[in-house]
Amino acid sequence: MSAPTVDAPATSHLPATAEGRRLRIVNLLLELRAFIALIVLIIVFSILSDSYLTWDNLVTMTRHVAINAILAIGMLMVILTAGIDLSVGSIVGLAGVVAGVLLEGLTVGFLDVRLFPPVWAVVLIVLAVGAGVGAINGALVTRFGVAPFIATLGMLYVARGAALLISGGETYPNLGGSPELGNTGFEKLGSGEILTIPVSIWLMVLFAALATFLTRKAPFGRWVYAIGGNERASELAGVNVNRVKRRVYMISGVCAAMAGLIIASELTSAAPQAGETFELNAIAAVVIGGTSLAGGRGNVRGALIGAFVIGFLADGLVILGVSTFWQIVIKGAVIILAVILDQSQQRIQRRGAAVAAASSISDNPRAAPA
Amino acid sequence: MFHSHTRKLLVALATAATLAVAGCGGDDESSSSSASGGGGEEGGLIAIITPPVENPFFKAEADAAKAKAEELGYETSVASHDDDPNKQSELIDAAISRKAKAIILDNAGADASIGPVRKAKDAGIPVFLIDREINATGIATAQIVSNNSQGAQLGAQEFVKALGGKGKYVELVGKESDTNAGVRSKGYADVIGQVPALKRVARQSANWDQQEAFTKMETILQRNRDIDGVIAGNDTMALGAVAALKAANLLDKVTVVGFDGSPDVISAIKKGEARATVLQPAALIAEMAVEQADEFVKTGKASQPEKQSIDCELVTKDNADEYGVFAKKS
Repeated sequence: MSAPTVDAPATSHLPATAEGRRLRIVNLLLELRAFIALIVLIIVFSILSDSYLTWDNLVTMTRHVAINAILAIGMLMVILTAGIDLSVGSIVGLAGVVAGVLLEGLTVGFLDVRLFPPVWAVVLIVLAVGAGVGAINGALVTRFGVAPFIATLGMLYVARGAALLISGGETYPNLGGSPELGNTGFEKLGSGEILTIPVSIWLMVLFAALATFLTRKAPFGRWVYAIGGNERASELAGVNVNRVKRRVYMISGVCAAMAGLIIASELTSAAPQAGETFELNAIAAVVIGGTSLAGGRGNVRGALIGAFVIGFLADGLVILGVSTFWQIVIKGAVIILAVILDQSQQRIQRRGAAVAAASSISDNPRAAPA
Repeated sequence: MFHSHTRKLLVALATAATLAVAGCGGDDESSSSSASGGGGEEGGLIAIITPPVENPFFKAEADAAKAKAEELGYETSVASHDDDPNKQSELIDAAISRKAKAIILDNAGADASIGPVRKAKDAGIPVFLIDREINATGIATAQIVSNNSQGAQLGAQEFVKALGGKGKYVELVGKESDTNAGVRSKGYADVIGQVPALKRVARQSANWDQQEAFTKMETILQRNRDIDGVIAGNDTMALGAVAALKAANLLDKVTVVGFDGSPDVISAIKKGEARATVLQPAALIAEMAVEQADEFVKTGKASQPEKQSIDCELVTKDNADEYGVFAKKS
């Protein structure tokens, strides 16, 4: 399989004509639009409030972004295969509840003992639960042929219901653990720091680095793009489509569980309702980052910038004291704008390709369609 | 009133989908068979219908109503309408066909519930509304709700007192499309507005949600680290604010007041993390409704006016030990 043209837009082969140069510049601006939007946001908010561009606030905002960014990274992998994962918000809630159960003591009925696993084990178990839910999503999509939208919509309800069932609808109020049981330290995930940077930001960096490696260097990443580009062709080329799909849903599940752990840790309490509608924020981040919902096009960098745009915008509006209703309207407008810009980029790339093709046939580039 | 606080449509649907299997839906069949066969002069069935009982507030009211009714010798059926007016209508149909003596209802919508309540009344079954009103009078036999406006003023008075009548504060408002968010916010403003030295530096909605309150509080603190108090429209948001203040090492400087009287905030009050909350007497209201239903069944008339507003109670460190789950310990 040849790698798709994600980072090599057609415009880079353009001839050095005026028309080609103009298209190339416009295309570059569009490529970087989310990044430019982020810079503009930061400039505008810094002018409007002197509390915005401070180290402290940037760290706080990035910590808020980290949750959505981790979700968006998982969502990106699924969307690249032309799938979608609507269950991530519910997995966030379920992950918190499972962590709550384990930290407050797991009663094993037939042994009549109460287990208090150490924090590292809790984290691993919760991530495994996320992977497990993702595996079910993947199995529904591959084995039973359920459309991803429907399969994960179902899982949205099932996982949320499971979280409510396990917790009896109540919040686990104390995830601090106790020293004599040796399970303290859970709050470090959300409020601890390494080298003065919060742990949750490091986790975002770690997840982003892993995902970047996967999508750019590993064969797995090429398969993901290939499936999103043309599933049938990838299958014929020998890609194990079903296995790749199962894995992307598992990755998304793990990312969601990680986000759930961070939230529960920040609040040192876990509510079964946590994470409602988070799937939509994650999809929005991915889309703002220039990823096509049709699959095959998009990258980790874009999804991250998308998450930063949403988070920095939301926090900026809160700092300015803008009404909640306006916050919602503005967020929606930004998402729509992002998609409109994405469409124009694609149009320009197609035109660029046409210009390039025409100039390779004819020596006279003016013959290219204007 | 709790309304759809933490409950969004998705959760309601999720619960409907999953709990139907797990027994919630089965509850309206699993009447307690302790009372002698229904339909006789004594006893009979009282149907208790509430919003989803995963919310401890509604569980408290359903449990209290059930206990009171059984104490008075009735059979009970307890079911949740999951904030779905259609399901509520079906549950009321079921109560009618089972010839219930009375229905205790925490309804699924001020307008959407008028029809089903009238249907029960036409079938000769009195309906006692608790916690939430409907937008019609003369149909339900009683509408017993807690006084949110009075409760908010109570909370605000304690807040003003704790701050010594001056300083900067932040208000976290509930879901702004919810009537109660507005009523409580207005109650706060009525009291705090009379103290000019108290300055509100931010007012944000956190949609009744703990994590949203946490995030917004952290962001607000970026601009206003020097605040003296946070007053929240409900307890979940108050807990979110407490977590953010704790992370910023400001908890000992900032007074937090919530609303609802949830067990988690009461325990935070005992630890000195929150100053006060306003308890809605959910259990008391449910018991009153059952008592009035009992009276109506026996005498054929109601001695109380239809609209009854029950005062909320302030919970502070001084009396926190006296309160259990949405009720004063007996």
